[in-house]
Amino acid sequence: MNLKALKDVVTITTLKALPDLKRQPMMLLLVGLISALPLYFLVVLGGRINLGLIGAMVSAASFIGMSAAITDMSWDRYVKIREMVVAMPVHPMSYAMGVALAPLLLSTPSLVFFGVLALLVGGLTISSLLWAIVAVILCWASVSSIGFLISTYLQKATPYTLNSMSNVLGILLGFIPPVYYPEEILGSYSWVAAIFPTSNAASLIRVYSGSLALPFEAVLARWLILITTVVVFGTITAAKSRWREP
Amino acid sequence: MEEAVRSTDLVKVYRGKETVEALKGVSISIKKGELFTLLGPNGAGKTTFLRIISTQLLPTSGEVHMFGFDVVKEAEEVRKHIAVVPQDVATYGTMTPWEYSYYFSLLRGMSKPEAKATAETALKAVGLWELKNRTCATLSGGEKKRAIIASALASNADILMLDEPTSGLDVVARRNVWAVLRELVERGKTILLTTHIMEEAEMVSDRLAIIHKGGVIAEGSPEQIKGLSRERFRVVVEGNLSNLGLKENGNHVAKFGSKNIVYVKDEAEALELVGKSLKSGLKAETAAITLEDVFVKLVGGVAE
Repeated sequence: MNLKALKDVVTITTLKALPDLKRQPMMLLLVGLISALPLYFLVVLGGRINLGLIGAMVSAASFIGMSAAITDMSWDRYVKIREMVVAMPVHPMSYAMGVALAPLLLSTPSLVFFGVLALLVGGLTISSLLWAIVAVILCWASVSSIGFLISTYLQKATPYTLNSMSNVLGILLGFIPPVYYPEEILGSYSWVAAIFPTSNAASLIRVYSGSLALPFEAVLARWLILITTVVVFGTITAAKSRWREP
Repeated sequence: MEEAVRSTDLVKVYRGKETVEALKGVSISIKKGELFTLLGPNGAGKTTFLRIISTQLLPTSGEVHMFGFDVVKEAEEVRKHIAVVPQDVATYGTMTPWEYSYYFSLLRGMSKPEAKATAETALKAVGLWELKNRTCATLSGGEKKRAIIASALASNADILMLDEPTSGLDVVARRNVWAVLRELVERGKTILLTTHIMEEAEMVSDRLAIIHKGGVIAEGSPEQIKGLSRERFRVVVEGNLSNLGLKENGNHVAKFGSKNIVYVKDEAEALELVGKSLKSGLKAETAAITLEDVFVKLVGGVAE
């Protein structure tokens, strides 16, 4: 990527994030509130809040990744901003990265808030912080690449359909697998956690913060699964998507 | 005059459940500094042509060169010279006209001071400077459209392509957009416009091409296109034409209930028909034929 392409990523991120940040600041709260909802039940039902806070961080990143890749992309197509951008000297990768990064920027306050709380209640340790950041970023990248693939295949669907789909997938990926709760609850099926980018990332963070014990090979395998998800879905999307229509 | 765009035998076939031949060998030349209009009914192929030459859609066959660059093989070069306002473009309600123009200028590779200067010039040109910080959600339809046109204009692109920019606008807003377009041409911009509004094509175009069912059926200035018609005047007569002896003269007549448009060769014949009509107690008025009259004849519209 050259300097112009990187500048374009920053411009598109700012263009997509700044107006919402300035004029719809409630969005910042909304991202956090959705991810914080399960924490309420954890507190009421006596669950482990320290594990739940890690889940909130991961699901916030996941929600935002899915929403950007599916909903934002489809709205850009709908309002035809994308057509205008295609006819500009802008690289498609710069556009995709800008679209994906803008909501991540909007979710940063929530991620920081949950992270600090997790540090305070012992869900995270200082030494595990870097691993946690890497895992959250990879989770966001995995879910985003899955979302981009979906929006590539469903180009003809309306933004309303895609919006519903992104919400459903966000809930499924964020709330159903062991993201807010420990994977040990699943017993012999705990390996399921490795399949979903969200639960995989949450488990990896728990390994580094000492609340989950996994053999070194299993940890390595889970990192590889997370990275492979990004690479595979990203590659298929890159191969299938068309900046210019055939 | 130098050429801005040249398309040669451009063909586009959409293959799906049904195969649609949207363009059937379109050859057009657009000169630098002119406002060229593609005029045609819905589904004629105007948008397809515009999307191909603006590097958004690949042609099935044929060639298009934009400022000497091939739009298929040298799309990246072409994109440095063009700016597009797509059909039915909408705005994000949270964005302001200033943000559209400023950020789109940055995406063109301008520095921040350059982008600020060009955004200011563009917004002033479309008469939106006073509203630059209002969110698009609070603007009227015409103002939103002008905000988008400003963002294309701010690009300082050599050619602006506008796909039905005034569709859905009221008459006043439409005329504001026309004024902006002509002003831009006076400043040396090349503009490609598509429209199905005849008055628009007649009022703003230096030259135009009538496109119908994927092919160009006429090309020239509005006056040249009007010259394609044998009849140069129209007489609108209200009432029964049977006593006016029109059939014998072989006049072309378009009927709309009790109103009739009778096409005649020249002003003398038009005045004679007006006189006859008035004598027969019918209301009548005459005027020179419009582009719409010629267009309808060319595409074979109203029954005689």
